[in-house]
Amino acid sequence: MSPSSKPTTESDIVRVRLYRFDPSVDAAPRYESYEVPCVPRMRVMDVLDYIHEELAVDFGYRWLCGTRKCGTCAINVNGSPKLACWDEAEAEMTIEPLPNMEVIRDLVTSRDGFEASLAKLSPMLVRKEEYAGFPEPLTSTQFAPMEHLRDCLQCLACQSVCPVIAQGGSAFAGPALLVALSELAQDPRDGADRAHIAADVAHVFDCVSCYECERACPAEIPIVGEAIEPLKRIAYRAGEGEGAEHAKAFLDVVKTRGYLNPTVLALKTRGVNADTLRMAMRMIPRGKVDLGQAFLERKPSGAEGIAKTYGSAEELP
Amino acid sequence: MKRVYAYFPGCSAKGTCRELDVSTHAVAALFDIELQELENPGCTGAREFRAISEQLHLTANGRILALAERAGRDLVAVCDTCLLNLVETNGRLKSDAAARERVNAALAQEGLAYRGIIDVKHFLWVLTDDLGEERLRERVARPLRGLRVAPFYGCHIQRPSSVRAAAPGNGNDAPALDRLCRALGAEIVQYEGASKCCGFHVVNVQEKIALRMSGSHLTNAKGNGAQCIVTPCPLCHTVFDAYQPSIERELKSRYDVPVLHVSQLVGLALGLAPERLGLSRHVVGCEAVLAHIDREGAPESAHAM
Repeated sequence: MSPSSKPTTESDIVRVRLYRFDPSVDAAPRYESYEVPCVPRMRVMDVLDYIHEELAVDFGYRWLCGTRKCGTCAINVNGSPKLACWDEAEAEMTIEPLPNMEVIRDLVTSRDGFEASLAKLSPMLVRKEEYAGFPEPLTSTQFAPMEHLRDCLQCLACQSVCPVIAQGGSAFAGPALLVALSELAQDPRDGADRAHIAADVAHVFDCVSCYECERACPAEIPIVGEAIEPLKRIAYRAGEGEGAEHAKAFLDVVKTRGYLNPTVLALKTRGVNADTLRMAMRMIPRGKVDLGQAFLERKPSGAEGIAKTYGSAEELP
Repeated sequence: MKRVYAYFPGCSAKGTCRELDVSTHAVAALFDIELQELENPGCTGAREFRAISEQLHLTANGRILALAERAGRDLVAVCDTCLLNLVETNGRLKSDAAARERVNAALAQEGLAYRGIIDVKHFLWVLTDDLGEERLRERVARPLRGLRVAPFYGCHIQRPSSVRAAAPGNGNDAPALDRLCRALGAEIVQYEGASKCCGFHVVNVQEKIALRMSGSHLTNAKGNGAQCIVTPCPLCHTVFDAYQPSIERELKSRYDVPVLHVSQLVGLALGLAPERLGLSRHVVGCEAVLAHIDREGAPESAHAM
C-alpha cells in the first residue's frame, strides 16, 4: 500500500477509477469512475466482481484460480502491480492493465508476446540421453538453486515494471522469461546450450540490475540474484555474449592494477571509435579522464595480493 | 565528538568523479568526521564480479570488509553500487558461517580474515542519521532557499530488500536524500523516474538503453522545473552528467541540467567555496545553480533585514 493510501476499514465506499478500452471500437482508452460498497478487508477482485455484476456488465477482466496460484489476474493498482485475487483493496484505487503489454480489452492484456518469446528458449528439459531407470533421482542439493524459481506464477508483474522492456528497442527477454530459462539452465538433467540461449536469444546481459522486478514479484523470488546472475555466470563460463567479454575485461583490469580504472575498461570493451573519442574529448578537459594514470602508471603495489586472492576465488562457482 | 570511519571511495571517486572524493572529505571535515581511506582495497566488482562467480563477489567484498574491521571502524561508501555489494556481502558473511569460512580461506593468503562485526553505511546516511538532520540544519550557512532540486536516489541504495533493511530506520523512514534536501532548505521536485534506474550498468555494452532510460528521467525532472539533479551515486552522476550530451543527441532534446553529488549540495549549503567541491569538473556546468545560491542563499538574518 502506498503511504497515502487509505484502507477499506476506514471507509464506507471504495472509489475506483477504472481503465476502459476496447481497441476494436475505441479510438483511445478512457477512465470511468465507480463506487462500490465497502466490505472491510475486501480484495481487489471483490471490487472488480461487484463492478462487473452490478455496474458494468461489459467490463473485461481476467482471473482463474482466485487463490494466488495461476497468475492471470495481475493488474496495476495505483501504479503498482498487484494480484487482484490476493491483494487487499484500498478505499481509492486507479485500476489499470499491466503496462508494457498489448491490451485486448479493459484489464485483459495479451500473453501472446510472452508465450512466443518463451517458445524460443527451448522451455523444456532437453535431454542428451534418457535416464534409463525410473524414477530419476534429483537430490535436494541439486534442486536447491531452482527452488525459489519454481514459485513463479508467470503473472508478468515483473515484465510490467522492467525499464529495459519499457524503453523498447531491445531484444531483452525480461525477468519472467529469464526465471523460466534459469530454472532449466540450472537443472543438472538439462543438456541444451543454455549459455547461447541466455546470451544471444534472451539477451541476459541487457539487464540493468535495477531490482524493480524483485520488488514487484508477488512470489518474492530473488529474480536478479537467483535467476539472472546464475544465467550470466553460465554465459560467462562459455564465453557467450558481449557482457561476458566485458566482465572478463573488468576483472583483468582489477587484477592487473589492484583497482578498476574506468578509462582502461571503457577502451577495452568499446575500443577506439567515434563514440569513445567524443566521450574522451568531453571528459579530458574536465579532468574526468587521467591519461597518465591510465597508460603510464607502473604496476601499483598491492595489486599482486589482490590478483592472488581474486584468482583463487574466481574459479569457484 | 569526533567520528571516525573506514572509507572505501570506489573507482569513480578516484577516477571519473574525483570531485566526489574531494567534496566528501571537505564536508566531513566540517563535521569533525574522519574518513580513513583503506589502502589497496581492490574493488567491489560492480555488477561484473557477480556475473563471473559468486565466490569472487563475496571474496572481493569480504576483503574490503576485513580491511575495515582490522582498522576497527564501520565502513563508509559513497557509491550506491559499492554500497549494495558491501551490504549484501556483510549480511551473508555475518549469517552464513560456511560462506564466511570459504571467503576467509581465500583472504588468508594475504593474512586477512573477516569476523563480521562491522556495519556498512553510505556517507549520505552518516550525514542524515549518524550526525542527524538537526546538526545539518544548524550548520547551513547559505540555505538553498527556492532551489528546485530533483533527487535521484539510484537503484542500489533502495533495492533490493537487503539494502533497504540496512538503511536508517530499516528503510521505513522517508528517503535520506529527501530529508537531507529539506534540511538544507531546498525545494524537492517530484517527478516520475526519481527512484528508477539510470542504466549505467549496461552503458558500456548497450549504450542506447542507458541513454533512453536516463533521458526520460531528465525530461521529467526538467519538465517539473528542476534546476539540478542531486544523486548519492557517482554512476548515476556519470550517466546524467558525462553522458548528457550523448542523451541529447539520442533523444534530440536539449537539457542543460546540472547534476550534483550529495556532498557538493551539502558543501554549497554549508558555505564552502565551489572550488573546494570540484564543481568545475562536471561536463554540464553548474553556473546557474551557483547564481541562484548567490542570489537567494544569504543567511536568514540578512534576508530578514
